[in-house]
Amino acid sequence: MNWKHVKLIFSRELRDQLRDRRTLFTITILPILLYPLMGMLMLQVAQFSREHPVQIKILGSENIPESPRLVDGEQLYSRVGIESIAPLVKISSSALPELDNEKLQTQATEMLNKGDQDLIVIFKPRFREYMDQLAQTQVGEMVEGDLLDESDRGLEVILTRSRDQSQIAYNRWQIAIEAWQQEWIATKLKGAGFDPRLVRPLHIAPVDVAPEATRRAIVWSKILPFIMLIWALTGAFYPAVDLCAGEKERGTLETLLSSPARRREIVWGKLLTVIFFSCMTALLNLGSMQFTASLLSNQLAAGGARGLAESLGTPPIYAIGWLTLALIPMASLFSALALAVAALARSTKEGQYYLMPLLLMMLPFVMIPMLPGIELSLGTSLMPVTGMVLLSRALVEGQYLEAVRYLPIVAVVTITCCLLAIRWAVRQFESESVMFRENERWDLRMWITSIWRERDFTASVMEAMLCGAIILVVKFFASLASTEPISDFAGLSKAVLIGQLALILTPTLLMAIMLTKSVRTSLRVNAPKPIDFAVCILLAIAFHPLAMWFSTAVTTVYPLSPAMIEATSGITKTIIDTPLWMILLTLAVLPAFCEEVAFRGFIFGGLIRQNGVLRAILVSALFFGLTHGVLQQSISASFMGMLLGWVAWRTGGIVCTIAMHLIHNSLSILLSRAATSETSPAWLDLFVTFEKGGFHYDASWTTVSIVLSIACLWILYVRSSDSIVANESRTVDRPLTD
Amino acid sequence: MIEVEKLKKVYSDLAKGEFVALAGISFRAQPGEIFGLLGPNGAGKTTALRILSTVLRPSSGLVRINGFDVMTHPAEVRRSIGFVSNNTAIYDRMTAWEMVEYFGKLYDIPEDRLKDRMEMIFQQLAMGDIRDVPGAKMSTGMKQKVSIARAMVHDPPVLIFDEASVGLDVMVARSLLKIIASLRDEGKCVIFSTHIMREVERICDRVAILYRGCILDEGTLPELSERHQQNDFEELFFEMLSNYDRERAEKLAAGGSPS
Repeated sequence: MNWKHVKLIFSRELRDQLRDRRTLFTITILPILLYPLMGMLMLQVAQFSREHPVQIKILGSENIPESPRLVDGEQLYSRVGIESIAPLVKISSSALPELDNEKLQTQATEMLNKGDQDLIVIFKPRFREYMDQLAQTQVGEMVEGDLLDESDRGLEVILTRSRDQSQIAYNRWQIAIEAWQQEWIATKLKGAGFDPRLVRPLHIAPVDVAPEATRRAIVWSKILPFIMLIWALTGAFYPAVDLCAGEKERGTLETLLSSPARRREIVWGKLLTVIFFSCMTALLNLGSMQFTASLLSNQLAAGGARGLAESLGTPPIYAIGWLTLALIPMASLFSALALAVAALARSTKEGQYYLMPLLLMMLPFVMIPMLPGIELSLGTSLMPVTGMVLLSRALVEGQYLEAVRYLPIVAVVTITCCLLAIRWAVRQFESESVMFRENERWDLRMWITSIWRERDFTASVMEAMLCGAIILVVKFFASLASTEPISDFAGLSKAVLIGQLALILTPTLLMAIMLTKSVRTSLRVNAPKPIDFAVCILLAIAFHPLAMWFSTAVTTVYPLSPAMIEATSGITKTIIDTPLWMILLTLAVLPAFCEEVAFRGFIFGGLIRQNGVLRAILVSALFFGLTHGVLQQSISASFMGMLLGWVAWRTGGIVCTIAMHLIHNSLSILLSRAATSETSPAWLDLFVTFEKGGFHYDASWTTVSIVLSIACLWILYVRSSDSIVANESRTVDRPLTD
Repeated sequence: MIEVEKLKKVYSDLAKGEFVALAGISFRAQPGEIFGLLGPNGAGKTTALRILSTVLRPSSGLVRINGFDVMTHPAEVRRSIGFVSNNTAIYDRMTAWEMVEYFGKLYDIPEDRLKDRMEMIFQQLAMGDIRDVPGAKMSTGMKQKVSIARAMVHDPPVLIFDEASVGLDVMVARSLLKIIASLRDEGKCVIFSTHIMREVERICDRVAILYRGCILDEGTLPELSERHQQNDFEELFFEMLSNYDRERAEKLAAGGSPS
């Protein structure tokens, strides 16, 4: 790759974008203006609602006990705890009208609806009498009021939640009446010879041992990464659309493609530009938000809200530094994805339609860290974007030990995602059909006719993806419909038969029949070479300990919930209680056949087209994993799916993978049964240790099995007979050359 | 200089399915020659020229430019050609000078040589007055001049003009033809595609008539006139196209393959 070309393209695109008023407005003017304006507005609204006095109407003021005082003229009586709110409540008192309860409420409602009053408080006729009696009553004695109707001695508060002022008035009244009650109790206790501190004997002051930096950053550590990534994503969109779809629309892309710059260099040049704008948008937004927040916190501190002001105050400068560091890989990932998606569009308008789903797909990963209780762990660090957000949060909060612990995992996941996204973007630019799509009129009938007319011997990439998506969707709805836990073989066989035959095999076969010219070719049913087949059998046996170890590791990282353990206990019991041949047929033979036909057959065959070996292995494994429903199983199955995908590629068909899948499932079943059986063969002890109703392979056999697996994989790799590779390359479309 | 042998290009289209844009065409063009590719809209001219400029990949056949195969040595091919497409596409937010300089740098021309070369081209094409005008403010003629300057900046031995005169007024089109003629005089090999007969008559040394992805005939204008016994080139063109359509319809009616 010629980096001089990359630099040239980057400089040109950068200059071009900086000359565009719309881009400048989005990345600079908007954030500079947006946050100060928002902050000013929020401050004014908050100040208005905070300082605006509320009107409370007291009906039955004659029924309020004289001591302690509740009202002082047209204000609440100011006492400890309500000094700040007392001036913000305007009281108008009047005697209780001679009306029945219903009419009284109607009158109160009218007053509230008119807006004359924000809250109506009614002191019932015998309120004072009841309170006085209560103060003189000994333990065990009955107060006269206890027998009275509550409506005669109580205190009624009427508000309307349809108005904020009414809610504010209610909140202030609650604080005032609570303080009044405390004082009333304290007075009575004192009168009876007790210490008034009995009302609140404990005064608990928490000691926060978090470092000052963490305390200062606690609010921002949650908000800033979210805001930063949302703006990084948004900031990548407009330049990506303009640099791809915009260039196509203006006709300049063709000129650039005929220049000496290679496609890869063009993508890198454009990618660096999009990354630059993505970072700049995020940083300027962060800076502007930070500046506004520090001004706001000063205002709040001046206004007395010192606690809030402190938590909103400027976080340490290194926090911004960490965020900036985390921003670069994230902006790279978003930019590469945006560029690849935008390359599909023929116009800027179309590009905007395509990028919206990308934004929606990214949002959950950005939002997961905002959920309560989500922290940096092995599980979350493996999630793209989420892991990086949590890592940057840990760094901002000064939890360096945690951050360093998970840094390698987050880095590997993020870099892998970035490289895959960049690879996709390059592939898009190398694809003739993507770069030179004409403005076709889309018509459903025409589209269906064209699908039928252009059937190939194998599925297309889109058809393979569609098949995987259909299986996932029908499996999802089926899982919603079946709520009964499995407790016997009838239930298990019903679930497996429906799951495998109806939800996996049927859609696959239907698509193979309707969308391809040859069912056999599209399902990759090719006879393997006997040696390949034998090596695969050995590989399945040798790989089983590794697969088991991986499953155990997954359940250690993501432990099964008690509810999940309870739900699977029925299945485990059924596996043990049912005759072996029946359980092998249900859980080994049937899934091995149906799943291999679907995932390593139809889906893999479609995905491997256009040089997509890596895509076929990864995506088919992902679909295979996701159909298992439970997260822990999905991860383990995806891992196994990658091996099966690789074998399917090397052996050119599904026969070997069916055999491997069958052996893997059978071994798991046999060992599970042996673990609970009292008469397991003695030779098994050479390989496996049984304990607590489960099993694990011995370390020595695991080591041997790793060596054996590597040997088998190597044999399959070296053998890679020309016929197999040739078989694949027939359906492989070469990308545009450079 | 340009060798095209049995060049075939098949597209996949929603409406038509797989359709053949180029059905195995062959032609050659030499240095100091303007080779005209004449054909109506949809004949396959743009497809052929996009393959020549390595923007598209041929489905089969051989294309060699300046001795380099477009499939095996695309980078060398791109350095050997200057490509001017029919949509006069230039960057709106770059001035004429910046645009030509940008492409000059992409061709790795040393700074001092590039400046001299650009001064010469700007003078040759009379572009002094639009030197600092951004693309968005240029007229169609100005844009076309910038495109030509951009294609000439690395002094390529082969220049490809794909319907470059479309949308230009008479004065600008005339000036464009003059420039192309001068390039031939400099010894360049020029491919000039058009659907305007008069332009072919004015500047092309040899011409290939392209229709429905096939070259119906190829030669100098006198050779074509003699072969088809028709002096009026426009009439000759229409007769060839009509004959082709008639023969094709007869083949289809007889149940044969259309091509």
